Amino acid sequence: MSELVSIITSRDAAVRNRSVDKAAARLETAALLKECAALDRFWRASSNLYERVRALLFLYAIHRFHLPKRELGENSGRVPFKAVTHLLKRRYEEALESLARVEKASGPSAALSSAYAAIYKGLAFKTLADQVRRSVRSVRGNHWMSRIGHPDDYPLAIRPELLARASESDPFPILKESTPVRMDLTHSGWSDIFFLGMDYPEGARVLNVSIDLAVRDGASAKPQPPIEAYLRVIDEPVLRLTSVDLGATTDITTFAEVFDFARDYLGLLKAALIASGIVPPAMEGAMQPLRTLLEKLAGPGRGIELASIVRNIPKGSRLAVSTNLLASMIAVCMRATRQTQALTGPLAESDRRLVAARAILGEWLGGSGGGWQDSGGVWPGIKLIEGAEAREGDPEFGISRGRLLPAHHVFSREEISHQARERLEASLVLVHGGMAQDVGPILEMVTEKYLLRSPQEWRARQDAIQVLDEVLADLKAGDVRAIGHATERNFFGPIQSIIPWASNLYTERLIERARGEMGAEFWGFWMLGGMAGGGMGFIFDPARKREGQERMAAIMRESKRQLEDAVPFAMEPVVYDFAINEQGTTAELLSGAADLLPPGYYALTVPLLLRTDPKLMPRARRRELDALATASRTTEAYSGMVQSLFDRLLPSSEQKTGMQTQTLEALLNEFGFDPVEHESIRADLQNGRIGLAQNRLPVTTRIEDVRPGDVHAAYTENRALRQIGEQALAAGQVAVVSLAGGAGSRWTRGAGVVKALNPFGRFNGRWRNFIELHLAKSRRASRQSGTVVPHVVTTSYLTHAPIAKWLADTSNAGYQRLVLLSPGRSIGLRLIPTLRDLRFAWEEMTQQTLDEQKEKVRESLRTALMQWAQNAGEASDYTDNLPLQCIHPTGHWYEIPNMLRNGVLRQLLAARPQLRYLMMHNIDTTGVDLDPALLGLHIERNAALTVEVIARQVEDHGGGLARVNGRLRLVEGMALPSEELEWSLSYYNTNTFWIDIDKLLAAFELDRAALADAERVRNAVRKLAARMPSYITLKDVKRRWGKGQEDIFPVTQFEKLFVDMTALPELNCAYALVPRERGQQLKEPAQLDGWLRDGSAEYVNSLADWRE
Amino acid sequence: MKIQKAVITAGARWQRTLPLQSLIDRDGQERTVLRILLDEVRRAGIDEIAVVIPAGDEAEFARAAGDRNVKFIEQREPAGYAHAIHCARAFTAGQPFLHLVGDHLYAGGNGVSPTERVVEIAEAEGCTVSAVQATRETLLSHYGAIGGQRVTGKPDLYRVTKVLEKPTPTEAEQELPISGLRAGHYLCFFGMHVLTPSVMEILERGLAEPGEKITLSAALSELAAREQYLAVEQTARRYDIGAKYGLFYAQLALGLNGRDRNALLAQLLELVALHNTETHEIGQGA
Repeated sequence: MSELVSIITSRDAAVRNRSVDKAAARLETAALLKECAALDRFWRASSNLYERVRALLFLYAIHRFHLPKRELGENSGRVPFKAVTHLLKRRYEEALESLARVEKASGPSAALSSAYAAIYKGLAFKTLADQVRRSVRSVRGNHWMSRIGHPDDYPLAIRPELLARASESDPFPILKESTPVRMDLTHSGWSDIFFLGMDYPEGARVLNVSIDLAVRDGASAKPQPPIEAYLRVIDEPVLRLTSVDLGATTDITTFAEVFDFARDYLGLLKAALIASGIVPPAMEGAMQPLRTLLEKLAGPGRGIELASIVRNIPKGSRLAVSTNLLASMIAVCMRATRQTQALTGPLAESDRRLVAARAILGEWLGGSGGGWQDSGGVWPGIKLIEGAEAREGDPEFGISRGRLLPAHHVFSREEISHQARERLEASLVLVHGGMAQDVGPILEMVTEKYLLRSPQEWRARQDAIQVLDEVLADLKAGDVRAIGHATERNFFGPIQSIIPWASNLYTERLIERARGEMGAEFWGFWMLGGMAGGGMGFIFDPARKREGQERMAAIMRESKRQLEDAVPFAMEPVVYDFAINEQGTTAELLSGAADLLPPGYYALTVPLLLRTDPKLMPRARRRELDALATASRTTEAYSGMVQSLFDRLLPSSEQKTGMQTQTLEALLNEFGFDPVEHESIRADLQNGRIGLAQNRLPVTTRIEDVRPGDVHAAYTENRALRQIGEQALAAGQVAVVSLAGGAGSRWTRGAGVVKALNPFGRFNGRWRNFIELHLAKSRRASRQSGTVVPHVVTTSYLTHAPIAKWLADTSNAGYQRLVLLSPGRSIGLRLIPTLRDLRFAWEEMTQQTLDEQKEKVRESLRTALMQWAQNAGEASDYTDNLPLQCIHPTGHWYEIPNMLRNGVLRQLLAARPQLRYLMMHNIDTTGVDLDPALLGLHIERNAALTVEVIARQVEDHGGGLARVNGRLRLVEGMALPSEELEWSLSYYNTNTFWIDIDKLLAAFELDRAALADAERVRNAVRKLAARMPSYITLKDVKRRWGKGQEDIFPVTQFEKLFVDMTALPELNCAYALVPRERGQQLKEPAQLDGWLRDGSAEYVNSLADWRE
Repeated sequence: MKIQKAVITAGARWQRTLPLQSLIDRDGQERTVLRILLDEVRRAGIDEIAVVIPAGDEAEFARAAGDRNVKFIEQREPAGYAHAIHCARAFTAGQPFLHLVGDHLYAGGNGVSPTERVVEIAEAEGCTVSAVQATRETLLSHYGAIGGQRVTGKPDLYRVTKVLEKPTPTEAEQELPISGLRAGHYLCFFGMHVLTPSVMEILERGLAEPGEKITLSAALSELAAREQYLAVEQTARRYDIGAKYGLFYAQLALGLNGRDRNALLAQLLELVALHNTETHEIGQGA
C-alpha cells in the first residue's frame, strides 16, 4: 500500500498526524510520482470526507513544494488552456483530466505541477465548503426551510403578543433584541475554523467572552450591548428593512429582492430574514407577490419591519460583530414567529444552538463565513466552546469526526468567580487598531497547514491548546497578570509559528511602546480573532488601566500616522470601555404607547416620510410620529432629534465636497495632468474607439511561441559571462532602478497605500518593506564588487512624499550613498467605466467562478455597479472619493522617460560618467539582484534591452514572450487577440529589464549631452510615447465611509507599458530565462505563505546584506 | 380496562353552532354533526355520553342530539379546551373515557371505525391512546403533534414521548421526529383520544395553577413522561368543520363515501365542466 495513503487511513493517531513534507522529502522522484498516482486514485475512491480532503491537500503540497524542486525539466510542458479554463470555472475534475492527458504525452513538468497544485487545492477547499453547507442544512430544525417553496404552504405566523395593540390607529408592539459581541481569550490557533473542528474536535477549543462595549471618546459612556435588532408588524404589506448604522432602508415587495443580497447595504438583514425562516430559502424564485406570504405571517394588508443597529463598533473589530448581528436579527425573527420557546428574556440553550446554526446558514447565504465561535454573543458570560465528536444520529456521523456545531460550556460563578471577572475588566484595555484587514487568506493557510500536519505548525498547535488550559486556570485563579503573559506568549509563539502574517509591524510597534512606557505594569498583549492590527487587547496593572487607555489611544494614533502610507488603515484607532455581558442575547417587548424605535432610526426614516403625503401615511405611522414629537420634547435620548433631522434633510456636506474638488484640481495641476489628452481619451472611450476590447491586437495577427535559441538559458555556468559582469560591476557601470510609482492595487485591493513601503516580511529579525529589501541587495552587490551601486527609486504623485520621508527617516535604510528618487511626471484622472467595458471584463473574459452562493452575490453586486456606472455617467470623471484615489499613474512605460525629464539620469551620469547599464525591476520582484552572469550576457549580446523571462506556470497571467508576425517580442496579455493564445506561450515576462543607457537614448533620438536640453527631451519623449499603445484597464478603487466600511468600485484608467519597447525594430533585445525564485512577483498577500514555505523567502534573504 | 364513557367537547363560544349543523350522512339521511358523532361513539360500544356545551345552549344541543340518554354539561366560563374536558370530571368519575372534539368529522378508512380502533387499543393496552394522522408540516399550526417511537410489531402504534401544541416546523423537526413518515410530515392529533384518570388529575392540577392555563397537549406531554401513552395512526380522514370550507369538505367526504357517491360525482363534474366552458367563452370574448 502507498505510504502516504496509509498515513491518511491509519487508525493510529501517531501515524495519522505524520507530516506529508517529511515523507515526501525522503522519496525518490519516481516513487513520489507513484505516490501521487496512488493518492489520486485514493481520493476518488474514498467515501470519507476528511480522507478525501487530506489526500487532495497532500497532492497539492507535493505538486506545490516538492516536485518543482526535482529534476522534471523545468522548462518543458505547458499548461493546456482547457485546464486553465476548467480551473477558473471550478470544474476541477475536468481540469485534472485535461492535465493528465498532457502529462501522459509529454511527461511531468514544473508547469504542470503548478496547475495540479492549484486544482487540488481548489478541489480540497470546495469539498470542505460543500460539507459545511450540507451540515448546516442538515441541522435539525433547518430542513423544513429548504422544502417549503410556495407561499401557500407557508407555516409560520407572528405571535399574538406582537399583534396586540390598543386600537387600529396605534403602532404594533416592538420586539427588541439586545446582543453582546464576543471576544476570544484564545482560539487555540484558529481551531474554530469549521473544517478544523470537524476533523479534530478534541483540538478545537476556544475561550470566549460575551461583552458590552462603549467607545471611549472623552465622555464616559456605560458599556451596553453593541447590537440591537428590532421587529414589529406594520400596516403595509411590505418587508421594511432598515440598517441604522449603515444608513440604509428599503421596502421589499418581491421574493426576488429578498434574495438579491448585494443591491444595497441590507444584505445581512435579508440573510437574517431567510435564515430565520421568515422567508424560507426554498422560496428563492417564487413568482407570487411577497404579499401572499406576509398575509399568512401577519394578516391581510400587513407586513414586517426589521431594523438593526450596531453601536459605534467599526468593521474589522475582530469581535464578530456581523455574525452576532446576524444572530441577533435571526433571534428576534424566530422569537416573533414562535420558533423559540421564549418571546422575551434570554434564550433557552436549545434555542441558542438553533440560532447559532441559522447564523451559519445566513453567513453562507450572504457569501461570507466565520468560525463556529463567532455567534458566542448569543450565549452569556465566559464560556468554553469545544468541538464535539459526531455520534450516531448526528448528521455528520460517518462523514467527519466532529460535529458542525460545537458544545458550549458557560462557566458558573463557582468556576470563575465574580472577583476574577471584575479583575479582568479592571485590567484589559480593548482597542481597535484601525488596520484594514482581510483575514480570509489566513484562515485558508491555517486549514491547509493543519491538514498537512506540517511538523512545526503541528507542534505549535499543541502548544496553543495548552495555552488555553493555562489561561483557563489563571482565570479560575483570578490571576490576570498570568493571563497577560500567556496570551502574549501565545501571540509571539504558537500563533506566529503557524501563521507569521497574523502579526505585523504596526502591532509589534504598539506592543513595544506599551512595554516601553508602562514597563512591568503592562502585563501582556492579546490578539483578538484571526489577525492583529484591528481588534486587540492590552492588559495592564489595574492601577494603571485608565492611563493605559489614554496612552494606547495616543500611541495608536501616532503609530498610525507613521505607518499609514505603508499599511492600509480603514479608520482612526479607538479604545473601548467594556463589560462582561452575563445574559447573552435577550429580548424585551415594547408595547407602551410611548415606546419608539431608537433615535437613529427616525433620523434616517423621518426625512423620507416627510416627503410623502400625510394622507397616504398609515394611521399608526402618524401616531408614531406624534409620539416621536412628544419624546423629542420630553425624553433626553430623543432631545437631539430635531437637530439631526435638519442635518439629514439639508446635508452640510456640499461644502466639504466643494473643498475636495478643489484639492483634486490642485493635485492635477501639480502633477502634470494633461487635460487635452484626457478629453481626447474620454471622447475615444465614449465613441468606442478605445476600450478593453480595443486593447487587443487584430485577430489576423500571427502569434507563435518562441523557437529554440530565442531565449538564453545556459548563462549561469558560463564563467566568461560572469567575469564580464563582475568587471562591469566593479567598474561602476551599473545602477538599479526600482519601480515604485504604482499603488499595487492587488496588494491592498485598491486601498491607495504605498506598496513599496509595506512591511511585508520578516527578515533578519525585523519586518521589512520592499525598498528596504532591494537596498539590502544593492548593499550586498556593492560589497561584493567593491563599488557602490547607485539605486534609483521611481515614484509617483502617490508614492513620492511617503518614500522620500521614509528614506529620510531611516537614512536610506542605512544605504548611505547614491539613492535617488525619480518623481513621476505624468498622471491621469480616473473615469467611470463604460457599460461596454464592464460587460467585456465580466462577461467576455474568462474569470474565476466563485462558489455558488458567492457567485450569486457577485452577480447582484455587478448589476448594482453597472447601475452605478450608468447613473454616474459612463466615461465621466471619477471624483467621488479622496482626491488621491481619483487620479492614477499612467503605466511604467513613463518611468524611464521620467528619469530623462526630471534630470535624475543626468544627475546620475554626472556623478558616474562610467555608468552604462540599468537594471530596472518591479518593486515586488523580490528575488531579483545584480547577477553578474546576467549582466555579462547583456553586455556580450550587445543588447539594448535584455529581458528576464520565466517558464510559465498556471498563475502567470498577462502575456509573455512571443513571435508576433514572425518578430520576437514581449506581448502584453491585454493585447493578445484571444485568451487562449497566452497559454501557448512558454515564457512569462518578469518585467526585469537590463538596459543599455546609450542605446536606449538613441531610441529616443537623444544622447547623453542632449539630456541637458529639457525641451528636446520633452519632445523626444512625446514622440516615442505616440508610438506606444495605450491600454485601457479597469482597476478596483476603495471608497471608505462610515465606521470602517469600504466599497470597492471599478474605475477606468489608461496606461502605457514598457514591454512594448521590445516591439521597436531599432532596439536589439535579448531574452534570458531566469529561475522562478528570481523572477516571481508578490502580487497578493495570500502568496506570502507559499513564498515562505517553498524556500523563496530564504533565497531572497540570501541575496541581501542587512549589515548597516 | 373497559371504556364505558365518552365526552364530546363543544364548549367553545366561537364554534357553538358547529355541532348543530346538519349534513347528509353516508346513508343519505339528514343528521346533525352532533348526531353523527354520537352514533360514532355508540358504534364503539359506549352508551354513557356527555357533551360539554356553552352555558345556556342545552335546549338547542338536546334538539340536535335527538337522544335523551345524552348528558349535557355546561362550561360556565369560556376558559379553553382543557378546561372543557375538565368540566366532565364528575361525569367520568375516575374512569377512563373516550374523548371526541365537537368540530371534527371522520370519513374513509376502509370501513374501520376510527373510534372503535382507538377504544380497542386502549382496552387492550390499558393506557391513554390518542388517534393521530400524518400531517404536512404546513398544517402544523392547526393541531397538537406528537413525537415518539414505533411500537415493534405494530405498524400503526407509537409510544408517545412528547406532545407539542401547534408547533412551528422548527420545533417539530427538533422535538417530534418520527421515523418512517414522508419528509415534512408529523403525527398530529385527530381530535379523538381515550384518556385515563391521570389526565384528569394533571388537568386538575394545571388548571389550579396561576398564570397561563394548561393545554391538553401540555397535559398529555406530562403524561407521556409519567406513564405509557400510545398513539394510533388512523387511515380514516378527519375533517375540521371549523376551518374555511371545513363543513363543505366534510359533507363531500361523507357523500363520496356513501351511497350517493355517483350522483354527487356527476353533479361535481357538471359543475367543473360548466365552469370551464364559461371561462373559455369569456376568454374567447376578451
